[in-house]
Amino acid sequence: MKTNTMGYKVRQYLLFAGVTTAVFVMVVIVPFIYGLYLTMTSWDGVSKSKPFVGIANYISAFADSGYWVSLGRTFIYSAIAVILVNAVAFILAYLVTSGIRGQNFFRAGFFIPNLIGGIVLGYVWKFVFNKALVSLGNAITSGNVKSLLATETGAIIALIIVSVWQYAGYMMLIYVAGFMSVPDEVIEAAKIDGCTGTQSIIHISIPLMTSSFVQCIFLSITRCFMVYDVNLSLTNGDPYGSSALAAMHVYNEAFVNKNYGTGQAEALILFIICAIIGGIQVYVGKKGEVQA
Amino acid sequence: MKKKIVSLMMVAAMALSLTACGSTSNSSTDSSSDSKAETTEAAEEEKAESTGVSITILNSKTEIQTQFEEMAEAYSAKTGVDVEVYNADTDTTVASQVATRYASNDPYTITMVDAKDVYSLADDYAYDLSSEEWAANTDLAIEVNGKLAGFPVCVEARGVIYNADAIEAITGETFDPSSVSTLADFQALLDTLVAGGMEQPVGVLSEYWSLGAHYFAEVYEQQADPESFVNGLLAGTEDLENNAKFNELMDTFDTLIAYNYAKGSASNADREETSMKLAQGDIAFMFGGNWDWSVINQYDYTENMGIMPVPEDTTDDTNTKLVGGGSKYFIVDASENTSDEQRQAALDFLNWLVFDADGNSFLTVDCALVPAFSNIDASALDPLSASVKKYADAGALIANYNYLPDDHMTYVGQELMQKYLDEAMTRSELATAVTEYFKTATPIEH
Repeated sequence: MKTNTMGYKVRQYLLFAGVTTAVFVMVVIVPFIYGLYLTMTSWDGVSKSKPFVGIANYISAFADSGYWVSLGRTFIYSAIAVILVNAVAFILAYLVTSGIRGQNFFRAGFFIPNLIGGIVLGYVWKFVFNKALVSLGNAITSGNVKSLLATETGAIIALIIVSVWQYAGYMMLIYVAGFMSVPDEVIEAAKIDGCTGTQSIIHISIPLMTSSFVQCIFLSITRCFMVYDVNLSLTNGDPYGSSALAAMHVYNEAFVNKNYGTGQAEALILFIICAIIGGIQVYVGKKGEVQA
Repeated sequence: MKKKIVSLMMVAAMALSLTACGSTSNSSTDSSSDSKAETTEAAEEEKAESTGVSITILNSKTEIQTQFEEMAEAYSAKTGVDVEVYNADTDTTVASQVATRYASNDPYTITMVDAKDVYSLADDYAYDLSSEEWAANTDLAIEVNGKLAGFPVCVEARGVIYNADAIEAITGETFDPSSVSTLADFQALLDTLVAGGMEQPVGVLSEYWSLGAHYFAEVYEQQADPESFVNGLLAGTEDLENNAKFNELMDTFDTLIAYNYAKGSASNADREETSMKLAQGDIAFMFGGNWDWSVINQYDYTENMGIMPVPEDTTDDTNTKLVGGGSKYFIVDASENTSDEQRQAALDFLNWLVFDADGNSFLTVDCALVPAFSNIDASALDPLSASVKKYADAGALIANYNYLPDDHMTYVGQELMQKYLDEAMTRSELATAVTEYFKTATPIEH
């Protein structure tokens, strides 16, 4: 049988990936294109008529100062959260692979926050910030301590803390896999050559783990940019709408303020920004990968 | 060759499982409704024969979902019409949920929506209810372009909720809400309470819907002509900063802020905690509405509560009236996705609510809603609803204004009023910001 003809290749592809491709097209590609079309209409979300308005939605998205403010806020939030998530995750991964006692228990423990859904997690932490920490603060200072969530910067800090707590365990698992993949003999050789522990991490482990970093940073960037559930249940934009991140602004614009087209256009802009940042990061990261 | 067969089988198995996943939702709903119809038929010979008609209802008052489901079961058993009640998703708006159902050509037969949504849905989807018998018994139904589209589910009104027990424990006299209709009297009472040991007698909810859509909205609703006032704001011709109603209501709001128990982190006050304090009498007043009873009754409450008008130093009679009216409306689907039999069953259901004793008791006893129909007896209501009913019967309700721009609630409620509540904004800054907002706001067509 000839295996290099076009027909054979197409048949093979359809045989193995035909159904999945069809499903993928139906649930991802078609809605995406339809969404693209909706950004060109002034649909209110329910009406039967979808008047075509061209790029008017993009113009109003660019003119929506609230969107750009929330996007700027998302950049700051993401930058800090991504760095902290990965730093904490890396340190945790190092600790739970260093052979301390009960390390499997710790691995499970650090991973558990990731199993709690974002909404629940937000409410739990809201209680911690508003009640537990405030009572604790009052007991220590015997004064009237303000909740972190009641101040504008405090609310963002609270969001970052919760995100780090939630994602660090998940990223830790990827870093753990990275640490395990570093061959023992390389570390041993380094030690014989007189490498200290820190030096072997910086010069041996980290370069060999680049692919873990690429994955973790990509995952944390995209998750931070798109965060909505924790934002909703922890702060819901309070106080004064100062903690509404981009995804929340988009949702409110589309469904609360009923500017479906503008909201959709803003969502698309968010997607493009996110895709560009993620793409650049993966490209740069892949270039830096080395083989043992 | 063997390998090839094995891999083919694998592919077939995976593909099958995938397609099975894809189609479960459809087939399961079909089969479940079929089987339901069968079981009703088989099991209830003494009760009504199943008519084979099934209707769906979207309930967007999520707090009464359990009551709704029980009612649906009893109603099905009695009439033979299969009623399925869906709960509105809490993580999305009702409008978007309805939109999803219409987009998939599978709308609810009866949908419960807010007044605003009635206007956006009426032209395309709502069935004209004007020839229904109950239409004469209410003046709260919503008419859109000559079509009676919205069946009022209940009456809701807002004002200041008081805990009379807490007040009487300090003053030693029976509390008469009408004695504190002016701001000076209200303030005098607050000072008495403070002197009597209740250090902070007031709670203010910090949620943006409460601040924006409930309190600040009264600035428009209490105007002699809300329509022309809002149009004036939209046109930029109205002077909000020197408007009498704005200043009267803000004077009262300043008083509420001054006596707020959460002063200092007011914009972060927790609704549960505030309601609990009110229920237990740690605070005596809270701005809210009769829907707050569902939160208050979770705690150690007293029956001796009620709603009074917002105290105001004013020259008109707005400080003797609550603000409110019909809340939550049923619309009946008019599209071809609903058959004539289903539509008739839906209309029968609405009639049952208004004219049947069981329907009435479902509304007033099971769900504790204030009925919007004059023929329904409502003596079984909770204290807050009883207050509302009293004001409604006396004609002392100022109508809701349903045509504020869509983003009014989030912008004015969250970005402005929360700041004002935290005393991070002056009154003239607030007036300027609201005036500026209206210049660029998109008006609601109506």
